Amino acid sequence: MLSDFEAAELLSFLTPEARPDVKGHTTSYILGLSGNRDGCRFLRTKPDIITALFALTSDPSIAIAKDCYFTLINLSADETLHQVLLTDIKVLQVMLKKVLDPEFVFSDQICSILSNLTRHLKTCKIMFKVLQEDVGVAKLVEIFCAESFNKKAKFHHLGPLLSNLTQLPEARSFMMDKDRCVIQRLFSYTQYQASVVRRGGVVGTLRNCCFDHAHHEWLLSDDVDILPFLMLPLAGPEELTEKENDGLPVDLQYLPEDKKREEDPDIRKMLLETLLLLTATKAGRDIFEKKSVYPIMREFHKWETDVHVTAACEKLVEVLIGDEPEPGMENLLEVDIPEEVEEKLTKADAREQEELEKEQERMKQEEEEEKKKRSDTEGAEKEQEAGLIR
Amino acid sequence: MAAPQDDSDDGMDEFMEKFKTTTYKNAFSKDNWEEEFDKIPMFMKKAPEEIDSQSYPELACLQAMIHDEDAPPEEQAANLKDEGNEFFKEKNYKKAILSYTAGLNKKCGDQNINTVLLTNRAAAHFHLGNMRSALNDAAAAKKIKPDHLKALIRGAQSCIELRSFAEGVQWCDEGLKIHPTDKKLQELRATADKHKRAAERDSRKAKIKEKKLHGEKEALLAAITDRGIKLFQTSKPRHRESDGEEESSSAALSQLSLDCLSSQEATGARVFLDEQHILHWPVLFLYPEHQQTDFISAFCENDCFVNHLALMFGEELPPWDTDRKYHPQNLQLYFEDEVKDTLYQVKPETLLLKVLQHKRFFVKAGSPSFIVVVKGSPFWEQFSTGKKIRGL
Repeated sequence: MLSDFEAAELLSFLTPEARPDVKGHTTSYILGLSGNRDGCRFLRTKPDIITALFALTSDPSIAIAKDCYFTLINLSADETLHQVLLTDIKVLQVMLKKVLDPEFVFSDQICSILSNLTRHLKTCKIMFKVLQEDVGVAKLVEIFCAESFNKKAKFHHLGPLLSNLTQLPEARSFMMDKDRCVIQRLFSYTQYQASVVRRGGVVGTLRNCCFDHAHHEWLLSDDVDILPFLMLPLAGPEELTEKENDGLPVDLQYLPEDKKREEDPDIRKMLLETLLLLTATKAGRDIFEKKSVYPIMREFHKWETDVHVTAACEKLVEVLIGDEPEPGMENLLEVDIPEEVEEKLTKADAREQEELEKEQERMKQEEEEEKKKRSDTEGAEKEQEAGLIR
Repeated sequence: MAAPQDDSDDGMDEFMEKFKTTTYKNAFSKDNWEEEFDKIPMFMKKAPEEIDSQSYPELACLQAMIHDEDAPPEEQAANLKDEGNEFFKEKNYKKAILSYTAGLNKKCGDQNINTVLLTNRAAAHFHLGNMRSALNDAAAAKKIKPDHLKALIRGAQSCIELRSFAEGVQWCDEGLKIHPTDKKLQELRATADKHKRAAERDSRKAKIKEKKLHGEKEALLAAITDRGIKLFQTSKPRHRESDGEEESSSAALSQLSLDCLSSQEATGARVFLDEQHILHWPVLFLYPEHQQTDFISAFCENDCFVNHLALMFGEELPPWDTDRKYHPQNLQLYFEDEVKDTLYQVKPETLLLKVLQHKRFFVKAGSPSFIVVVKGSPFWEQFSTGKKIRGL
């Protein structure tokens, strides 16, 4: 890595008054450094350089500002950098406010940085406080849901940002404030085709919120109605019987024959986990039965090929078709599990996980063999064809 | 009047006596005192329709004060606003609108008054069912004062009544930005959203139904053409302007063919394809001798004529058969090729499908028709003169 002397030299080139071409080369070089782990760790030891980078995000040269933003994105992606990045909160606050400017060209980059900085609990707590005080999470949700707030930015990364924030109970309280309309605005984005980042962020947010089972009744109520938006990405074009159709929520009735399911398996898994969480209370389970959730899951299970997602689906289906638990055990999230049982269950889970992974490996191997076989025969065919043409 | 200047009381007593016997001039009478009261502005319970200065001079005077052209415009506008509000309270929305409009026309510089005038006029329109006007007024109010809660609520409500649900949600969202905890706005948003989703479901349902119907039509036409059955083109192709390029040719063609399938029979019976993919045709039997017809609503293509004839003529002969000669065994069946002026004889044992597939058979108006005559009858001799007779 660079010596202290070389680092000091770099720093001198990072002042606003430095010659633009020198500045530009330096920021470009540092961006390159930040592209790998060692470079990041090196920069971690040079807080002055980082401060200089923050300052240069306001440089009149778009190229230089861009390099700085991308460097910061890389740095923020590394957890060990979070402490040093947050040493001077004021710098962060200045950057934050820029997001509110509808003309600002680097809003998306700022959103990525914010999203990275909120991933881990400790920094997340600090970030939430800063966000609430300076910009207000409500404003961020508003910007996230506004179609054309800023022509140059899409704000998709606010999705994972919100998802990260909802690790915190205070963020969840805010999202599910009954006196406001916050979480409801996110629902329609569970099917936002244009961005998997946005979709994933929204579903992650909803999943985190569903850990609070005190809010389940409100979430499942007609006024809020979270259920259809969780089911839609998992529903397909298959026709159901009339009886099953009648129970379905309005949004799931008469789906066109070209209806596609969510294509990202991780998001599918999160949706299933969210649904499973909502079955914790008896009231929730009753609503699931009334709204024909099982038939949708049944068809989904037939369609799904990923082993992990299938496992999540099966867990949900077990609850949907299983008998009601005995009195006293109705809220599955509150049941006291005796220690030995808990141990056994954890071991069983670990074993299941192992088996799933083995199965996945096996499937992958089979696929590769198939591919190899096919390419062999294709190769042979191509040779034949080529022979013919000649 | 008695002279009141003496000190004696005698005149007084006399004076007082008079009150007991004579009424004073211009007294209210027992019968009309309520009517009279209603004419006095102070005692009016509601404003009269037209303030006629002859019958209500006092009210006309008051009104002149309200409409005092010399007062500053803000004052006039405020007075008109109050007047409008009074009419509104009486549910006289038309009059209220007039007052508010007059107030707005003062073009006074006070934006608060103007906002209220617009919002109140929006409310009056709303109660009259003029949703479009209500929405326009609410929008105008919102333009002047974007945070005016009543305008925001009224705008959202109007959108919902106009079934413009997505717009309604937008109004609510705009309002909730400024008044995030307002219950009414939240409630309206939930309502608008719900209706929007129901409307989307209805449109999906309609699309699927249309597609199904279209599919059934196509299947029917395909079944007919696959069998080599020809439909007689009676009408000119209808020009469809709304169709897109690709759709128009096949859709127009199928529409045209379906038009040809429409039976002119009042029963509205039509050829259909059953679940086993068998066609059933509405068939006409013509009895030119007696100018009679029989209509079979669903003649299965795999059925033969014998069965139907037996059904119709087997047990009882029809009343129009005055000669009592239309026994099944005496009957002959033909179909006519009008173009070539030929009659083709159909043996009763033949299946309907076979006949329909004949190269000179054209289904007219969706109903295959057959001529039924009695073998060797005088009518037949006459009828068949000049026509060519052929077998199938």
